[in-house]
Amino acid sequence: MNALLKIILLGCLSMSAFAEEAKLEKIQVATDKVTLARGAEDWMNSCHSCHTMKYVKYSDLLSLGIDKAKVDGWRGEAPLDTPLVAQMSEADGMAAFAKVPPDLSLMAQARDGGPNYVYSYLIGYYLKPDGMAGNHIFPETKMPDPLGISSATDAAQRTEMQSTAKDIVSFLTWAADPHQSDRTKLGYYVIAYLLLLTVLLYFVKKQVWARLK
Amino acid sequence: MSGPIINWIDKRFPLTSFVKHELTDYPTPRNLSYWWNFGFLAGIVLVLQVATGIFLAMHYKADASLAFDSIQHIMREVNYGWLLRYMHAVGASAFFFVIFVHMARTLYYGSFRAPRELLWWTGQGLLLMLMATAFMGYLLPWGQMSFWGATVITNLFKVTPFIGENVVIWLRGDYSVGDDTLTRFFSLHYLFPFLIVGVVIIHLVALHTVKSSNPSGIDLKDKDNIPFHPYFTAKDLYGLGLFLIVYSVFVFFLPNSLIEPANNIPANPMVTPNHIVPEWYFLPFYAILRSVPNMFGGVVAMGLSVMMFAFMPFLDRSRIPGGARYRPIYRIQFYLFLLDMLVLGYVGYKPPTNPSIVVVGQVATLCYFASFFIVPFVSKMEERWLIKRGLPAGIMELMEREKLDLESRRENRRRKGDKA
Repeated sequence: MNALLKIILLGCLSMSAFAEEAKLEKIQVATDKVTLARGAEDWMNSCHSCHTMKYVKYSDLLSLGIDKAKVDGWRGEAPLDTPLVAQMSEADGMAAFAKVPPDLSLMAQARDGGPNYVYSYLIGYYLKPDGMAGNHIFPETKMPDPLGISSATDAAQRTEMQSTAKDIVSFLTWAADPHQSDRTKLGYYVIAYLLLLTVLLYFVKKQVWARLK
Repeated sequence: MSGPIINWIDKRFPLTSFVKHELTDYPTPRNLSYWWNFGFLAGIVLVLQVATGIFLAMHYKADASLAFDSIQHIMREVNYGWLLRYMHAVGASAFFFVIFVHMARTLYYGSFRAPRELLWWTGQGLLLMLMATAFMGYLLPWGQMSFWGATVITNLFKVTPFIGENVVIWLRGDYSVGDDTLTRFFSLHYLFPFLIVGVVIIHLVALHTVKSSNPSGIDLKDKDNIPFHPYFTAKDLYGLGLFLIVYSVFVFFLPNSLIEPANNIPANPMVTPNHIVPEWYFLPFYAILRSVPNMFGGVVAMGLSVMMFAFMPFLDRSRIPGGARYRPIYRIQFYLFLLDMLVLGYVGYKPPTNPSIVVVGQVATLCYFASFFIVPFVSKMEERWLIKRGLPAGIMELMEREKLDLESRRENRRRKGDKA
């Protein structure tokens, strides 16, 4: 009885807990190189002026199949193994936003909700009555609307921006864990091997125990 | 075993007799269920943690300005570094999972009862060492949760009477968690697993002295004991296969499910995360800590909550063997206790801003301690009730025999006393 009451009580509590959190848009993150390359390009255009990715190098972008000439254009004089450092200096960032724009290498894993959070945040800009852009997901944000989605009213234009945001988030997800596709690929082999091994071990066990009378 | 080399060794070292005594002739109850696999699994996880840890330490930098970067270096640039790190991180959770099941089995079947008290207490010591190791290891990635978790927990030592402040500084090596804390935690995190290996050997010596308990709780006749090898090596390896499948699902497909997102942000003493949570395996104890309004009381309650298990051999006064198997009331107590642990875990995960969560936590904390304190009375009453109701013949026989043993031992002592 006591137990039942506790379960019911817990159920009620968890319901109210879910209601409090801002609703995140759920997206399917892409892992194909075409999307990642597109996301990288969008990131270079929309984010790189202010944000750094200290754990991602220009040479890593080549592994996504991005044209060498394009990467060379982005890096300018910097060597290929230079990290993607923001074009704006930290001091300028401080002056403009009173805060250094955060490093984005791990952003897709550094918030509750992961990629869903970043996506919802990017498309969460709206126009406030005073004409300034606000954000539903992170109201205190200092970042100006990077995709211009707050002032986009045309449905087709909004859809396009959402797809750009999705590509950027896919790229950020790759950047946070670049070995993810190797990992899952290896994972299928490992688990297939273990299944086979375990079935064999099961028969070994049966065989050995069959000796007992 | 034979052959000239083995003979040569056996003249100088008891290899054959050791293998015989501990493996091929070691008597093991044949009725052990799969719940008895978890001790072996804990040993395997320990080996996995030490092996992956040694290789991680080759690439890790225990320096507050380099630690976070070195983890990313392992994840991105070291060959299969991501595999090492995810195996180690998932391995910590796997270790606690396996140990919790191992303990739950001991509690369910009453395996802690005489003559296995020392076996149980060395296990209790291992649990404490495992907790310390996991706690110190969690600081090493130097993320936000690492930093603030270590800050909160080391701060608890402030409640030490008279020298509290000094104890905290002594633990941290500084006034706040910083580079000195990181380096000492790294050093101790590397040392502790080897101490654990030592205590595991003591645990095994105790086990091989008193032998395994078994689901019926009755000492089996010789014919029902079978050699550990090959029967239980085969059974344990099959269990290991099943365990490794689950472990690999986490390592390869869900490695981040057990890592708090905030730990992907480098440690920053100036910014407190919204909500500081420990790893899942500490949540019930953390909930108990927070449920006591007074800090001193909370720390004592948390310490006691971990140590309560050690009192079980004294608390359980029932002579009926087989633990929950033949004891319906004890079985209900066991399941209610597990449920209470889950509730506490949930409360520990939620921020304490919600007053109803706080109340649930306090009630669950009371239930936690109450479920230990009522054991002596309930177990005695249950025993009387069960005897009145009639027990299976074998169990009555065993209880009679134990009683006779006890009396003859007393008699012997008295006689010795007379002689002296």
